[in-house]
Amino acid sequence: MNKTEYLNRLSNELGHMPYGDVKDIIQSIEEHFDEGVAEGRSEEEIAQSLGDPKELAAEFKDGAKFNQIMKKRKKMADSFKGPDGRGRIFVILFNAFLGIECWLILLAAIVAAFMFLAADAGIVGLLIASMIMGKITEFLVPSIFLVLTLICVGIFLVVLLILGIKYYAKGLKSYIRWNKHVWNYGLGEE
Amino acid sequence: MNSQIKKGILDLCVLALLEKGDSYGYDLAGSLARKVEVADGTVYPILRKLASEGIVSTYLQESQNGPPRKYYHLTDAGRKKLNVEREEWIKFCGEVNGIISEETGGKADE
Repeated sequence: MNKTEYLNRLSNELGHMPYGDVKDIIQSIEEHFDEGVAEGRSEEEIAQSLGDPKELAAEFKDGAKFNQIMKKRKKMADSFKGPDGRGRIFVILFNAFLGIECWLILLAAIVAAFMFLAADAGIVGLLIASMIMGKITEFLVPSIFLVLTLICVGIFLVVLLILGIKYYAKGLKSYIRWNKHVWNYGLGEE
Repeated sequence: MNSQIKKGILDLCVLALLEKGDSYGYDLAGSLARKVEVADGTVYPILRKLASEGIVSTYLQESQNGPPRKYYHLTDAGRKKLNVEREEWIKFCGEVNGIISEETGGKADE
């Protein structure tokens, strides 16, 4: 592989990097070739010792990725020092007019389901106790069916409550996390 | 040697080479590749990363034959980083050596 071939391969492998960066990188490797040739080495020999252009490109790309991460971190750290005021206003307004209300309505639904369950259990208990004590003589068969129906409703409510509470907690947790993020870093990229 | 281990420590090697004085890519590539088993190209991505972090700065200087060379200079931040990481590395090496030699010593006793 001579110099031109090597540089072509390298620039192909660099792919989606910004043009300015690719140009810069190619220039530095070209300089390396020129120095080597001036020392009396052949282009092939220099290309050989530079290593696989694919691997070299990967190392450049890794470095660029690392830089992006560091820049992002710095940006986050900066915005932490001086938070974006709009993010905070957004959190306050969003919660005042929509966020907290939604969570309260859902909480009220859960409490209502609890009360239904309690009432359901109470009626079932009362009916069964009455039947055992022989207070119900008329409507015995319909009463048994009523008890069975109410037990089914109870089981349904228990399942609903377990799922409801689980997802309520989960949702509330990520909602709080999201609020914190917006509070600290503002809206925009995660 | 494991390339992951090597990768992490090569930055430090480049910083140490630059501590002796400013230098240009080709020269650094040669100095590094003579002492560690790496390709000559390896030094360039490292220099680029260090430059963008402000660990090294660059300037152009005329050479006697041919186009101007891009020289790399260790900044104050770079010098600090070098001193901290050098100490950490030497300490770490000592600890690892301690473990490795204990291991072999233990086996010899059995």
